[in-house]
Amino acid sequence: MKVLVLSTMVPFVHGGAEELCDHLVGNLRLAGVDAEAFRIPFTWNPADRLIDEMVIARTLRLDNVDRVIALKFPAYMVPWHDKVLWLLHQYRQAYDLRDAGQSNIADDARGDQIVAAIRTGDMLAFGEAKRIFTNAPITARRLRHYNAVDSTVLRPPLNDPELFGGGEAEGYVLATGRINAAKRQYLLVEALRHAPGIRLVVAGPPDTPEDGERLRRLAVIAGVEDRLTLDLRFLPRGDFARLVNGALAVAYLPFDEDSFGYCTMEAFQAGKPVLTTVDSGGVLDIVRDSETGLVATPDPEALGAALAALADQPERAGRLGRSGREALGVHQLTWPATIGKLLS
Amino acid sequence: MKIGIISSGVPFVQGGYRFIVDWLREKLVERGHAAEIVYIPYTDELDLILPQMAAFRLIKLDDYFERVITLRPPAHMVRHPRKVVWFIHHLRMFYDLWGTQYCPVPDDAPGRALRAAIIAADNAALGEAHRVFTNSRVVGDRIRHFNGLDSEILYPPVLRPEIYQAGEYGAEIVSVCRMEHHKRQLLLVEAMAHTKTQVQLRLCGTSMNPAYVDELRAAAASLVVADRVIFENRWISEAEKADRLSRALASAYVPYDEDSYGYPTIEAAHAGRCTVTVTDSGGVAEFVMDDVTGIVTAPESAALGAAFDRLYTDRRLARRLGEAAAEQVATLGIDWDTVVAKLLG
Repeated sequence: MKVLVLSTMVPFVHGGAEELCDHLVGNLRLAGVDAEAFRIPFTWNPADRLIDEMVIARTLRLDNVDRVIALKFPAYMVPWHDKVLWLLHQYRQAYDLRDAGQSNIADDARGDQIVAAIRTGDMLAFGEAKRIFTNAPITARRLRHYNAVDSTVLRPPLNDPELFGGGEAEGYVLATGRINAAKRQYLLVEALRHAPGIRLVVAGPPDTPEDGERLRRLAVIAGVEDRLTLDLRFLPRGDFARLVNGALAVAYLPFDEDSFGYCTMEAFQAGKPVLTTVDSGGVLDIVRDSETGLVATPDPEALGAALAALADQPERAGRLGRSGREALGVHQLTWPATIGKLLS
Repeated sequence: MKIGIISSGVPFVQGGYRFIVDWLREKLVERGHAAEIVYIPYTDELDLILPQMAAFRLIKLDDYFERVITLRPPAHMVRHPRKVVWFIHHLRMFYDLWGTQYCPVPDDAPGRALRAAIIAADNAALGEAHRVFTNSRVVGDRIRHFNGLDSEILYPPVLRPEIYQAGEYGAEIVSVCRMEHHKRQLLLVEAMAHTKTQVQLRLCGTSMNPAYVDELRAAAASLVVADRVIFENRWISEAEKADRLSRALASAYVPYDEDSYGYPTIEAAHAGRCTVTVTDSGGVAEFVMDDVTGIVTAPESAALGAAFDRLYTDRRLARRLGEAAAEQVATLGIDWDTVVAKLLG
């Protein structure tokens, strides 16, 4: 069986979606399937460009493939008779983000036309798909709400669970994920002021140099440099896992994330509790306050108190972390099971 | 520099067109550039060629790349102010194969209109390019003849020339390439029946066509040369290739009417081995000159067999031609420093 994974590309950007695409191909091959990914360059500005992008996808043609697994807009519009969608997200700026006033598509007549075109194109693509999987319940709810399309939630598994075996807490809280304003590591740096004696390690690649600089500046202003370690780079996976395994807890505070987030899954796999916030979206599907972690309001005082609570009661932290591991285990997120569903 | 390497691709079809893309990226990154490979799916179905070319043309790359290098057609249709086309072949059915038995396009009004539209599109895409390079003289001649445009030859090097070493000149004529009809390994097996020495033939490579491999084995048996024809019908690693060539007598490469000289020719040259080829192999003659960098015979088994014997009985000849082939690589600038400098110039 020959399976082509179709996605989009923003050249030189490598994040969670790209990792997922690579691991999907790798795990298809492990399952004995011929697999390959084609990724089509995608540009969304100015908004009129979105029409061209859909025309490109709709006009390209495939050959020598049995099944297509398509991940992103508008790559899922490439015609193929045996196409399964594993939707990471729609073009949200034509849906919920436009409703929220956070879209690059103008709120005028032309904008309405573009949105109508995207929604029509989506309906065509969804209609011709054999099956539609989504990566999280919120993605499925949006699809139901805006497109009246049903889908099955298929959460992406961790790619290297074996690295996250857990270990003794070495007295620091770890903040992971890409460093940017939406992931809000800056709140944790500010929170240190309200959590005397707590050590924080921030480990991850900044989206821009300014994102890293901001953390350094805030540490100086807050006077917490002596308790803060900034390891601002894409860490080798082994090094990264050792940091997770040695942490007291993992703090992950994205604004309104769709899915659990790899950061959450890595922490729970390692038996570490997760500190998150009430507005972190899909993270809250698995991080429950005082059950598998702590859920605070997104402000430095509340986060500081939560950090202090974790440090003051390391045994409780360990218990929350073990519950987190169990909660993750219930979902049975493994690549072989995932591949089985995508090929069924 | 941020560089996009753009090529059309057919999923799951590997081959030279992928290697050149992968290798180019590796060499650009080695030299400190940021390079990203973009494969766009493409299929040759007649009614779909023009729309697909239009789709390629719509792809917006300016925001991401300071330069794009395009390889397999119709990748050259993409637009970019610094587009460098490294043209490896035309859609040949509309060009040199037009009107031959290899052309599936009917020579009627719609067929001729399609052909005219494709040539016009190629003219526009090639004409607007910052630079146009070809991988062989043949392709350059076609661009001049059909598209009225000048181009420059830029020979594709092998990935790691340094792994090839020249050892002793042994008893084997080595062929490392896919076993397919148009590569004509059968001619090499038949040539063995005409040899009078103990020269051997080693055929290495995979095949899409198991029946052809069976035919080769059967021919070796019926011509009673099976004891001197060695088959390695599988994927041969680079290290294995280097090993086979390092102790070969010479390489043989006799495809039917290829455009370019072919990687086997250059791999052999890096190992100090000359290439035995035939007069209708096309672009191979661009590298292999008779009695200088190899032996060129008529495409007949007896003539080829005599060439094998000549090399077997005169190892000094094998060495002289092999060493000249190695020098020819340098003379023609078949190396990555040259390629990168030209593509980024």
